This record gives sequence, structure tokens and C-alpha cells, in this order.
Amino acid sequence: MSADPLHALASAGKAKSTRSVLRVVILALIAGAAIASRLFSVIRFESIIHEFDPWFNFRATKYLVAHGFYKFWDWFDDRTWHPLGRVTGGTLYPGLMVTSGVIYHALRALTIPVDIRNICVLLAPGFSGLTAIAAYLLTNEMTTSNSAGLLAAAFMGIAPGYISRSVAGSYDNEAIAIFLLVFTFYLWIKALKQGSMLWGALCALFYGYMVASWGGYAFITCLLPLHAFVLICMGRYSTRLYVSYTTWYALGTLASMQIPFVGFLPVKTSEHMPALGIFGFLQLLAFLDYVRSAIPSRQFQTFLWVFAGGSFGLGLAALAIATSAGFIAPWSGRFYSLWDTGYAKIHIPIIASVSEHQPTAWPAFFFDLNMLIWLFPVGVYLCFQELADQHVFIVVYALFGSYFAGVMVRLMLTLTPVVCVAAAIAVSTLLDIYLTAKSPKPVEGQPADGGDGAAKKAVKSGLKSTSKPLIGVYGLYSKVAIVGALTVYLLLFVLHCTWVTSNAYSSPSVVLASRLPDGSQHIIDDYREAYQWLRQNTREDAKIMSWWDYGYQIGGMADRPTLVDNNTWNNTHIATVGKAMSSREEVSYPIMRQHEVDYVLVVFGGLLGYSGDDINKFLWMVRIAEGIWPDEVSERAFFTPRGEYRVDGDATETMKNSLMYKMSYYNYNKLFPPGQAMDRMRGVRLPEVGPSLSTIEEAFTSENWIIRIYKVKDLDNLGRDHASAAAFDRGHKKKKATKKRGPRLLRVD
Amino acid sequence: MKTSAVFSTFLSLLSLASAASSARDSSTSTTLPATFKPPQVFKNLNLVHVISAEKNYLKESINVLIENIDKAPQDEYFLPFTADQMSRLGGVEVKDRKDATAGLFVAEPVEFDQESDIQYLRIRLPKPLAPGAQQTLGINYYLLKAYSPLPVAIKQEEQQYLTFTFSAYCPSAYTTTKQKTDVKFPSSNIPDYTKLPGSGDIQEFPQKQGSKLTYGPFDEKPAGAVEPVRVRFEFNKPVNHVSRLERDIEVSHWGGNVAFEERYTLYHRGANLSSLFNRVKWQQSQYYQPTTFALKEIKFPLRVGSVDAYYYDVIGNVSTSRFRSNKREALLEIKPRYPVFGGWKYPFTIGWNSDAKNFLRNTATGGFVLNVPFLEGPRQLEGVEYEQVEVRVILPEGAENVKYHTSIPTSSITEAGVQIHKTFLDTIGRTALVIKARNLVDDFRDRELIVSYDYPFMASFRKPLVVFGSAIAVFMSVWAVGNVKLDFETKK
Amino acid sequence: MRWLPSFLSVSLLAAGSLAARKSSEERFKTYHAKSLSSTPVKLGDSTYRELTSTPRDYTVAVLLTAMDPRFGCQMCRDFGPEWDLLSRSWVNGDKAGESRIVFGTLDFADGRDIFMSLGLQTAPVLFLYPPTVGPHAAASPDPIRYDFTSGAQQAEQVHSWVARHLPDRPHPPVKRPINWVKWISTFVILSGGLTASYVAWPYILPIIQSRTVWAAVTLISILLFTSGHMFNHIRNVPYVAGDGKGGIRYFANGFQNQYGLETQIVAAMYGILALSGISLAIKVPRISDPKAQGVAVFVWAAILFVMYSFLISIFRGKNAGYPFALPPFM
Repeated sequence: MSADPLHALASAGKAKSTRSVLRVVILALIAGAAIASRLFSVIRFESIIHEFDPWFNFRATKYLVAHGFYKFWDWFDDRTWHPLGRVTGGTLYPGLMVTSGVIYHALRALTIPVDIRNICVLLAPGFSGLTAIAAYLLTNEMTTSNSAGLLAAAFMGIAPGYISRSVAGSYDNEAIAIFLLVFTFYLWIKALKQGSMLWGALCALFYGYMVASWGGYAFITCLLPLHAFVLICMGRYSTRLYVSYTTWYALGTLASMQIPFVGFLPVKTSEHMPALGIFGFLQLLAFLDYVRSAIPSRQFQTFLWVFAGGSFGLGLAALAIATSAGFIAPWSGRFYSLWDTGYAKIHIPIIASVSEHQPTAWPAFFFDLNMLIWLFPVGVYLCFQELADQHVFIVVYALFGSYFAGVMVRLMLTLTPVVCVAAAIAVSTLLDIYLTAKSPKPVEGQPADGGDGAAKKAVKSGLKSTSKPLIGVYGLYSKVAIVGALTVYLLLFVLHCTWVTSNAYSSPSVVLASRLPDGSQHIIDDYREAYQWLRQNTREDAKIMSWWDYGYQIGGMADRPTLVDNNTWNNTHIATVGKAMSSREEVSYPIMRQHEVDYVLVVFGGLLGYSGDDINKFLWMVRIAEGIWPDEVSERAFFTPRGEYRVDGDATETMKNSLMYKMSYYNYNKLFPPGQAMDRMRGVRLPEVGPSLSTIEEAFTSENWIIRIYKVKDLDNLGRDHASAAAFDRGHKKKKATKKRGPRLLRVD
Repeated sequence: MKTSAVFSTFLSLLSLASAASSARDSSTSTTLPATFKPPQVFKNLNLVHVISAEKNYLKESINVLIENIDKAPQDEYFLPFTADQMSRLGGVEVKDRKDATAGLFVAEPVEFDQESDIQYLRIRLPKPLAPGAQQTLGINYYLLKAYSPLPVAIKQEEQQYLTFTFSAYCPSAYTTTKQKTDVKFPSSNIPDYTKLPGSGDIQEFPQKQGSKLTYGPFDEKPAGAVEPVRVRFEFNKPVNHVSRLERDIEVSHWGGNVAFEERYTLYHRGANLSSLFNRVKWQQSQYYQPTTFALKEIKFPLRVGSVDAYYYDVIGNVSTSRFRSNKREALLEIKPRYPVFGGWKYPFTIGWNSDAKNFLRNTATGGFVLNVPFLEGPRQLEGVEYEQVEVRVILPEGAENVKYHTSIPTSSITEAGVQIHKTFLDTIGRTALVIKARNLVDDFRDRELIVSYDYPFMASFRKPLVVFGSAIAVFMSVWAVGNVKLDFETKK
Repeated sequence: MRWLPSFLSVSLLAAGSLAARKSSEERFKTYHAKSLSSTPVKLGDSTYRELTSTPRDYTVAVLLTAMDPRFGCQMCRDFGPEWDLLSRSWVNGDKAGESRIVFGTLDFADGRDIFMSLGLQTAPVLFLYPPTVGPHAAASPDPIRYDFTSGAQQAEQVHSWVARHLPDRPHPPVKRPINWVKWISTFVILSGGLTASYVAWPYILPIIQSRTVWAAVTLISILLFTSGHMFNHIRNVPYVAGDGKGGIRYFANGFQNQYGLETQIVAAMYGILALSGISLAIKVPRISDPKAQGVAVFVWAAILFVMYSFLISIFRGKNAGYPFALPPFM
């Protein structure tokens, strides 16, 4: 690459140190930019935990900080999944919490007592800075051009595909996992290139960390063996590969088995089998390799190779048999749904119901990667030029990354790093070619003019397009044109990323922002209003029933026991809640009594036109309930004969009598002049008379009606059934109200 | 401001002695035998007992003309309370009605067996009262948690009624010749009150003028005579009760800044909701009849010059607050996340900053004097009562020789001491003066707290040096690590 | 089973008129016998009425369908074989008729009146008539309706549904016959392919080992995936959709959906962009003639620029409020 200006500079000798200093400074700036671009939400709102899952992580972290590591390790949480409880310590990936716990204590030791919440909020941006640096290192392993690494770091730092899960406050496993992913890959490449056991061990170490942090570790577990396998198929087997892979696998598997949640999965489940198989296969190859070196005989070699192939096939067969015989668990739901894409929809509605498990439409790709999406193939193609081991890795990663990203929106996250690396390679190549001062002298015919380096490449490169030697660019105008265009694209990219981040990914769905007529920002804080009310004015152990989306938030903000939450490990329990929500009061009341439910919480967007409310999620509740009780709950019954899903006067009787519908619209029509009640979300007019409730009573409704909390009545004092009791109360309320419910409300503590 | 500060310095320097002395003998000699009866050495010639129920606490003042009927001069006047009242008693201040120069008398509870229902408050006259001599005492005190709602639970649009019981005859340890009791109410709507047979030309007590009830005048009553009387009156305002207030005042010399933070544990002692909260009714009532017994808004008039106020609670920032700060005023208006009804709690935290030169002066002797309000609670029409108050004055690291003086009644201060508070970049920790007080009310806001301390020159340089040193250390270590790494790479 | 045909003829003669007089026991015998010979029993108006007449001490599962291509009922034709499979494997599994269920099919062609009387507009419809007398008697004689909400069902799903409504009775499982033809053909093809590849190995080897081929394959699949092909595959979206006025809409509006053709267009655009990028990076600097190179540079750069601006403009169409644009497609 004699055309590289930096190299030219470097050859000047003393400039070397300046260059390294310059590089460090640039990297620092990039990391700074990566962090800064994730702070929109903190600046606009406050330093607050976002979304749903982060609230659990936050709660767990507080528990860890308060009670210490060992208490955390065997933490049985009886305030979720009432009455089952959850063995939290054994069913989570502790990496995130431990990381922030360590940071917390380290800062304490440095006499900087930062609030744990702020640490949690700022963890993701901080690690994104590290991710940028990791991307830099990884890319430097791929190409000799120095600009590539820095470009990759910059892309990684601001690519929306990664920002989407790592803005300040989104305190989720991905926050640190992506850094670990990229860094593990870097270490793997390093180990593979040098065949060094040390790097292999480091790789295993970070792999272990990754396993402790995110379920997505399976991506590494499958990708590295695949890379190894492809290398073998290309006849690239080498002791370097042997050393690095075996080191990584042995140590990494041991490390991963230390996590209670993972335990013995690495030797039991299918998604870990490739790694194991390749491990065994490598041993075999090593042996054969040794024998071959010992006995140089053509036939024998062929026999050996046949033997190798055969044994590989046998291994596969054995795996299949073991799986069918049940020694090895078949692909578990979430993973399997990646291959058989129709699987989840039929068998596990709960997985299908999560929005981030939906397939990805092309606008999402462009939205998250912008120009990188078309630079990506260019970079991959360039990797084919000199197809060294690390380039093979990029190719394999690119293929599978893009497949997974296509199947699941969420896995855009795992695609982004390779896209950044490949795009950076492409851009840097272009820059190296066009952003150079010296042009070749126009001499026809002699390819030798291209410089010997180019000639060498032309020889060893297998691509047809690179058969001719590299000459360089003659015209100044062409250089200017290309460089100018590239600059425009890059600027556009930066603008795009900033815009996307600030508009799409920076709202902490707990707090909603709206604009007042005068353009000033008005904050809609109903969630926390209701949660704070629950926290202050209900019994310490009052059980709250809500749809599972809000379980973590209730646990974190309202600090009350919940029936189900976002850790959807027990489908039946969730279906029970779904049934209670979607059945008639007479059916759901016994269910609620059996589960000792005190309050029911629903989210209602009708007044504000808030789309994420329970009526819109209702069909999922119905479906999940129907999965368990097909005879009692039927999705069909919620659609009008014309197959419409309606909430207005024409709604089906089942719909109108369902608890969810009643709770959502109870008293709502009183807010409007008679007959004028409008559901602004669905944009329909509601019936004249609103629903009436007999077994539960309205306990609290937030300012904009987004959260509505209902209290489950006790059994009637006079032993009547609730319907008649309620009817009686409606008859003459004054006397009964104060008498009957007066003393029970005295919850003075 | 300056003059006051200078004055306060002298005041503090001299007053510390007195405070200390009072503390000493209160600690020694207030324990009396369980069989203690106050000696009948005084006689109340004329007594006027004014009970004010206008706020959500009771403000009582007893103006009594006493005479020494003993042979020897006496200087201990005892005032009886029930044990329950004693626990809720606060802000006792006794002075001589005739000459204001005498200052406040020392009044502290007498400690003897907790079982007995009658407890005594001992008032020390500054100079013993000669036999036959007379003196007019003005005794002011407050009773917290004085009321209970009746009915206990009402609808959210109904009116709230409170009730409390007191004695028509002012409880006294001495014979009272002539007395009467006035009770003031926030409004003239007083549905029921106990009626007593009249005496003299008045055929029935009490007489009611507007929002005021008058029992008496009564003729001579023996010591300890009581006549329980119960009143029930409309009080359609929130009954705010702050069970605990933590107030931090952090002084920073480098920043030239005084940071205030107050943590309230607010509780509404009024009537509960008979039927659960109904948003529709609430929103309608906002238009039709805005007065309600729910707590909707709290106003904090802060000192002028207060800046960047904040307001949050357990789960983060609360956006419903307004802060106006200008030349004339600094008013912080906050709304709770939800309207606070009877029996509901709402703990929250507010804080603000202010320029140090508004509060801090350095004295001729090179020390510093800090003059801050002891209490800056909300100013509400219905009043606020504080059961426990803990004020922490956090002084810079290395401050020493801390003395304080405060103008709130010494009897309400339960304990005071100097602690160590460790926070950002502290090596030995900051000196923190902690004062715990009980049973205060918002009448005492803006009573001043004067703290004097020395801050050696070297101490002020500890932090920069520490920071600088540690930074250097970090750089050195990084450099070292970098070198190691370099060697490691060149090895291959 | 020699007596069977005669018996059948008698019963068939008697069917319409004797229906009332025949006891439910006999009826079951009759139709169970029928179903043993051929199941599901093909019903007509009269037989349908007879079979489902009360009182009955057995269960009847009837599929009302319209197989005739005239009605163009795709779902009927999809579900028909499944239904036959289900009933066949059930009856074979329970020859003695302990489960006391009869499977029948009523085609619209020979059961118009039934369709009319039941007021059915749609097909297929699956009715399950519970017994009205006997041990398994249900509360109401009315049939339970199985609705095909999510397309034609597999036999297994329907089986589980039927089994749910026949508690404490034998439920013979669905037995899918092994498709020998498929197996054999695959085996043949496989072996043929293997031999062929073995013969043609010297010719295939260079192709397998050619980087260009691999590169092409990789790039194409990447382009497919990144242009949302999997989305089409999973959501099976329409290829194109017509707008109201007879024209064709190539681009679905809305951020979260797309058409098949749309993705292909996008993939093509990505491809062109990538291609121009590649040629700028690799081909152009290897052109030895300055003029040709200059031209190539500007051509590729122009293509890149225009294509990118077009891409952005399309994206703006999908995502309203996207502020950025490049000329010429502003």
C-alpha cells in the first residue's frame, strides 16, 4: 500500500511517535463522541432508567450493592411471580450488575461516592466508547491501512444500529455485551493469527465475561466454530488454528459453566454442539496431520482425508441420534425460531408477541445503518482480495450476521459491528487510493509501473477483477470528485445518525414528552405518578396484577409484588393473567382471589391517544390465554362477524364483558358530555353507557388516564355475590359507602 | 445583613456560654422523686388561656399573673401536662409580660416516673420572686397532632371536620382565682361544642362570637381542676404533618456556595376517603369547587438569591414544579405527583443553592460565622407541623472549633453534636454539626441558626493537593503500564 | 363382511323416510359400517339430516365444504386431504367404534339445502354434533363449530380439537402414511448428483475453488438479507399491490411493511451502489489508460451519487419526516 499518505509520513521516521499520539487523541475523541451522542435523553429529561428490562437490572444492581455478592448469587425473589417467586440469582446473567457494582465500589474507594443510579444510567454510553476502541483494534487486524481502524471506530461509535440499545439509561445486557462481543472477536483473530495460547486464553476469558453478560453469547459459540470449520474446508488447517481454538474452547467452556444460569448447557444443548464437534474434529485433524507428516504417501493421504470426512459425518450422525434420543436438548425455543421462522408464531406466542423479535423490513436496515448498508458489501468484497484467515472470519460473520439481523430486529445489534468494520475497510481503501498526492506517470503497457507491491498482490490475489496490477489514479479531478463525494456521504451519515438518535432512540418510554401549543415541552409523567401512589399508599405486600410488560417497572418503581413480569419464564402463569384480563368478571374474580391480587393495573391510552396501551396489546393476552385454555378463551370471539377488532358500540359481547375492556373504559364516558365519549387512540365513539364493575373498584387513575389502578373487593360482608351488592350500592350509595368501606380504608401506618 | 451578621457574631460568642450552662444544670437537676408534687407556693390571681385552632396544630398561650404565697422567695413555677400532651408539646417560650428585657425564661420538662399521667414543665424565674410579690408570665407553646377527623372517612368532594378535646379550666398546679379560656377557629362553622352551665350573669358557656368561643370567666378553682370540653369544627384544608424533616446545609468555601437540601416525610392526618379516589370527580371539582382538603400545592418562599432549585422523590425528578427567582423573591412552588388525601403519604426532596456571601462572614479573629435560617419549610395557609427535625450543617473539610447558637426554643432541641461527613474527594471527612429538634411548627421558620468555626489556611489546600497528587499518580501508573505493554509486544 | 352391501342398500333405500323410526343405535351401526368401508362418509341432504337427527348417542363430525373448482375455495381443497387423513387414521385406529364418532363430508354440490338451512356463506365449516343421549350426552344438541381462522389447519390440530370434545373416549392418533415416492426420488436424485459430481469433479473443482464465485454468492445473499428478504419470507407479504386506481404500487407505505418487488428493487439498488463502490476501489485504479480511467471514475461516481440520492428519496417516502436528501431526487 505505497499509496498510503500516513505510511509516507511514517517513513519519514520521527513522525512515528507523533502518529501514535495523534491516533490516541483521535480515538479518545471518537470515544468521547460516542458517549456524547448517547446523552440526548439525559439532557432532555433526566438521568432515568429507560424502558422495561433495565428496571429489573437496576433493581438487581441495587440489591447486589446493598447485600453483597454472595447474597446476590443465591437471591430468591419472592416479590415477583407471586405466588411462585423467582430464583433470580440462578436465572439471570450477572455480568451487567456485577460490572456496575464493581465500578460503584471502585469509585467509593476513590472517595467519589457516585449514586448507583447514575452509574447504571451512564454505563451503556461508557461501554460504547470502549466498543469503538475494540472495533478499532479488530479492524487493524484486517487491513494494513491505518485509516480503516479509526473509521471503524467512528462508525461503531455513532451507528444507530448500536446506539438503539446503548443510549444513556438503557441499562440492559446489550450495553456491555456488544463491547465484549467485538473484543472477543478481536482476541480470537489475534490468537488465530499468532497461534498464541496467551491470546487464546484471553479470548476465553472475555468469552466467559460475555457469557455472564448476555444470552447472545451463543452467537460467538456458533460463529467461532463455523469460522474454524470454513478454514478447514478451505484446507487452511494449521497448528495456529488448533492452538487458538482448543485453548479458547476448553477454557471458554469451563468459564461459561461457572454461570448458574448456563450451568451444563454447553454440553447438553444443540446450540453448543457445533463448538464441541469442531473441537473433536480438530483433535482428529491434528492427529491425521501428524501421521501425514510422518508417512508421506499419496494414497495414504487420500485415505486419511476420506477417513476424516467419514468421521466428521459419523459425528454429525451421532449428534442427530443423541438429540433424537434426548441426551441432547433440541434447539431451545428462541434459537430454534431463528431457523424455523414459522415456529414461534404457532408454538410460542409469547416470543412472537415481543416486538423486538419481529423480522426486519428493509427501511429498518437503512434507518440503522444508512450508508454503511451499501458500503458493507464493498468491504466484504475487498476481504475476498487477499483471503487471509481473518478475512474469512469477516465474510462468515457478515453472512450470518445479516441473516440473523433479517430474521430478528433485535439482532441488528450483532450485525452492526461487522458492518462497521467492512464499511471502514471499503472507505479507507477508497481514501487510500484517491486521497494521495502522487499520481503514476501515464506509461502504457508496462504493468510493472504499478509498483512491485501491487504486482505481488496481483499474483496472489485470486479475484479475477484484481488480476491486473494496481496502477493508481491519474487525474486530479477524479481524486477531488471521489473524495468530495465521500466527504458528502460521511457528513450525511453523521447528520443521519444524530437525527435518528435524537428522534427515535432517546425517549425513556417511562416519561412521555409532548409539545404544548406554544411549542414548549410538556412532560407526561403518568407512569411514575401511579407507581409512586402505589408505593406510598398501598400495603407493603399488596399484590399487583398487570400485563407482564409492566412487571419490572412495578417492581422497580412501585416496589410491590407482581404476578408476572418481563422475565417470561412461566407461560402458564402469564396465560392465567391473560385469562383473568380477557374473561368476564365472574370468571376472573376467583382467579384474582386465588392469586391474592389486591390491585389490578391497566394502561389506557384512549384519552391521550397513547398507542402502547393494553387494549392494543389485548389480542396477545387473548392468544396466550387461548394457548392454555382453548375452550374458555377464544380469539375469534373478540372479532366482530366481519372480522374487525372493535371497541365501540359494535364490539362483540365477549369484548364488552372482558375485564380489560371494562377496566379501560370504566367511568371514561363521564368525562365527556353524554354520548360524546371518544377513544382518541382508536378514533372511535364509545357507547352512551359505560361499563359497570362489580367485583373491583377504581382505586386510582393518573392525570392523563394512562394508568388506571383498580382494587379487588373483598368478599361481600353480607355474603351476597358482588353483582347484587354493587347493584344495591348503586341504588342508594350514600349510606352504604361510608358505613361499608369506611374502616377498611383506614390504612394509617 | 452585614450589621446583623456582626451582631450575630457577638451574640453567638456570648450566648454560647449561657446555652452551655443551661444545658449543664438541666442535665443534673431535673430528675425528681416519683412522689413529687409541686409545692403550693404560688397562686394564679388572673389567668387567660388562649387556644388557637386556626392552623393544623394547636397554638396555646397562657397569660397568668402569679403571686408568691410562701414565706421564702421562690423561682420554680410548674406547669402540668398529661403524658400524652408532653410527647406532643413543642416550642415552649416563657417571658415576662411586663418587661421584655428579661428575655426568655428557661423552661424544661421535669423528668420523673414515666408512668404517672401528670408530667410537669418547670419554669425558672430569672430572679426568685419575693414573698407576696407578683409577676405576669406569658407562656406560649404548641401542641402537635392535636386533632382527629370526624367523620373519619368522607367523600372526596365533602367538607372535612376536625375535633379535639381540652379542658375549659386551664390545667394548673396551683389554685386559680380567676380565669377564662378563648378558642379561636379558622371559620365560624363550628357544628358542635360542649356546653357548660354558666355562672354569674352568663347563663351558659361558651359564648360564640364569629369564629371564637369563650369559656369563662370562671371563679376560683383548686389546683389540678379539669373540665373536659370537646369541639368539632370545619377545617377544609389539608392537615399537613411532617413526621421527619432532614435539612442539610453544605458550605463550600472553594465554590463560594451554600447548598441546601431538605427531605420531607409528609403525611396527611385528615379524613380518609370513604370511596376510593375518583379521577373524574376530581377533574370536575377542579372547575366547580376548587377548595378541597386534599393537598394540591406546596409553596416554599426561599431566601432571595436562591438559585437552581430541584425537586424529586424516590423514583426521580418531578416535573410539576415552578421556581421564580428574581431581585425581590425566590419562590418554589411544587405540586405532589398526586393530590394527597387524608391518610396518604408523600415523601419528597427539594434543594437549592445560594451564594455563600449571603450567609457567610469571616470575623476579625480569622474564623467564620454562618448565619442561616434554622427552618425554611413551606408557608401554607393551613400551617405545617414538624415532629422531628434534623439539621446538618456540613462545614468544609478540616473546619474546627465549631460553636453554634440558635433562636428556636432551647427546650425543643433534643440533641446536638459534631460528626464527620465523608463525600466527594474527602480524605479525613468534613465536619458536620448535627442538631436534632422535635415538635416544631412553621411559625419558627426563619428563626436563625448561627454557627461559628475556624478554618485553617492549610486545610483549605488539602483537597487540591490530594487531587493533584492522585492525578499525577494515575498518570505515572498509566505510563508505567504503557511501557510494560510495549515491551510485551516487542517480545514477539 | 358379505352381508354388508345388501344391508347398505337397504339402509340407503330406507334412509330418508325411515330416519325417524331408526333408533340412534342402528344409525350409528350403519354409518360406522359405512365409514369402515370408506371414510369420511360422503353425505347428501337426506343422509345428513338422518345422521344428525336427535336423539343420538354418538358424535358426528361433519365437514361442510365446496370442493368444486367453480367455487374456487382454496382452503377447502387444502384442508380436504387433511380431513380424509384424519378420519381415516381415526377409524382405522378404532375399528370397533368405541369412540362412537362418525366422520362425514358434505359437499355443497350435493347439500345445498343443508347449507341454506344452516345459513352458511363460507366454506369450509367443521361441525361437531355432540350426543344428546347416552353416557357422553352434552347439554345442548347444537353442533360445536370449528372455525378456520388462521388458514387451512393440519390434521393434527383438528385432531386435538376433536379429542378435546370427546373426553374419556379413545382418540386414535393421526398416522401420516410414509411418502415412499418422495424418499425414493430424493435418494435417486442424491445418488445421481453424487455420481455426476464425481464424474465431473475436475470441472466442478475450479468453480468451487474460485473466489469470484464465492464472492458473488456471498454478496448476493448479503444483499438479499439486508434488503428484508426474510421479512417477506416470514410475513409472506404480497409481491405488489394495486393502488385504488388500477395502477400498481411498488412501495408499501409505512415503515414496518414492504412488498416483494420493493425489496428486490432495493436489493438491486444496493447492488448497484456496492458495484460502483467496488469498481471505484478496485477496477478503476487498474485502468492503465488515463482518459479511460477518468471517464470511468466520473461515470461510476455519477451512478453512485444518483443511485444513493434515489435510495434516500425512496426512504423518505417510507419514513415521513425524514429530513435529509441529495440532489437530484430532492
